[in-house]
Amino acid sequence: MPPAIARHDLSTLPLATPGAASMHIMPDAHPDRATHVMMDSFDGPLALLLTLIEQRQLDVLHVPLGELATAFLEALTEVTVDQLPHISAFITVASQLILIKSRALLPRAPKLAARAVDDGIDPEEALRLRLLEYKRYRDVATVLAARLDAGVSLFHREPAAASAAGQAGARPEPGPAIDPERLRRAIERALLIAPPPPEPPEVIRRVVTIEERADIIRRALRRAPDVVLQDLLRDSRDRVVIAVTFLAMLEMTKTREVIIEQHEPWGPIHCRRWVPTSETVGEPVA
Amino acid sequence: MTTPVDTLDVTGEPLDDGALVPPGTAVTALELEALLFVAEKPLSRAEIGRICRLDAASVDNLLGDLEVALRGRGVRLVVNGERVELATAPEAGALIARYVGADGARLTAAALETLAIIAYRQPVTRGGIERVRGVDSDYVVRSLLHKRLVAEQGRAETPGRPILYGTSFEFMERFGLTSLEDLPPLDAEVAGRLAEGAAEARAGAADAGADLDG
Repeated sequence: MPPAIARHDLSTLPLATPGAASMHIMPDAHPDRATHVMMDSFDGPLALLLTLIEQRQLDVLHVPLGELATAFLEALTEVTVDQLPHISAFITVASQLILIKSRALLPRAPKLAARAVDDGIDPEEALRLRLLEYKRYRDVATVLAARLDAGVSLFHREPAAASAAGQAGARPEPGPAIDPERLRRAIERALLIAPPPPEPPEVIRRVVTIEERADIIRRALRRAPDVVLQDLLRDSRDRVVIAVTFLAMLEMTKTREVIIEQHEPWGPIHCRRWVPTSETVGEPVA
Repeated sequence: MTTPVDTLDVTGEPLDDGALVPPGTAVTALELEALLFVAEKPLSRAEIGRICRLDAASVDNLLGDLEVALRGRGVRLVVNGERVELATAPEAGALIARYVGADGARLTAAALETLAIIAYRQPVTRGGIERVRGVDSDYVVRSLLHKRLVAEQGRAETPGRPILYGTSFEFMERFGLTSLEDLPPLDAEVAGRLAEGAAEARAGAADAGADLDG
């Protein structure tokens, strides 16, 4: 058991490390399983190794990596089934850690050490460089993640008609500039033809009954012997009121209260009180 | 600043068909801003050159002028390599997000670190990403492609011609970057150590150096 890995201390270490949000080392009640690592499906062996280092608050630049071999292998026992496709990547790093550890433990003859220099970079240094390379991107990813939360996103305009026209190469034919004076003349002519409509009356929902409209016709007939329907409805813009008034008039004809006459299509509809002695019984227009 | 040499076409001659800008008329940064405003999508430098009848160097100058002119404004010039677009300023991000109801879809730590590798090393192959992460990254890269945060940028001229990945306008917009130069700097201490390591391993086969492609 390397001294750097003090199991009983794990539970007191901060659990969340910045940048390793998806990987948590959980203190376990079981003393033999003090290192319980929950890994996101796509965290790799370097992420695991770095998490183990940071959990122990060790310096990645100087920590003897071989001392982490045991902890790494223990964490590997927690690898879940969905990580099995990546297990070879974990085993590769595990084997490197064991090699590093064994090299550190075995006293090396000066001759061997010299050969190691000839071999090029030593495995611990190679793994540390990979770890550092990985760490710089993982660390900068947390800076980027903070930007996502900072509300500094940029927004572009969504493509619309102008862009479609640009893509299609559509360009209007160049023509003479339109004289605004023509526009003024046009609106003046239009105003002459169609006088502005009166202000629409306030709309109030109400029930219009035939009886109520019949009373209005009766009141009008008390004031004049002959009432023209169109005059009666002059200020009425509500189609229901117009229709019900017309229906009331027909109803009154049926009960022989009034007589209605219209001499030509679309002409004025005249309405008179029915007088039994009258000789001018017209054909009621339905 | 490009100066309009002859902004008035006094000859009255009909314009050459297909010419969007009359010959002899220099396009101003103001006009370029208007063009990008109406385009509503990223335009390539080549497209701008064609539309404005400018050579590549003049387009670059004009874009530089526009970038300077838009500093401190609500709309900025966003430059992603060959393509440019107008987008709202990072300072207005929170307000516009509230207006458009943008969803702050979360990214996993794996997605973020993969995105960081692509952003700083682009164009990079999946192999290049996996060498840094030490784990298969097929799923993460595909999910980033699906989110349109990264885009394919052609293929590497290496055996198997692997696909090269780079970041997209979507990435720059989400992270509030008007240029890739705005990316937060990488750890300098670590960079120094890596450079040392790379020098040591120059002759060796160590794969921890600053290799860019595979």
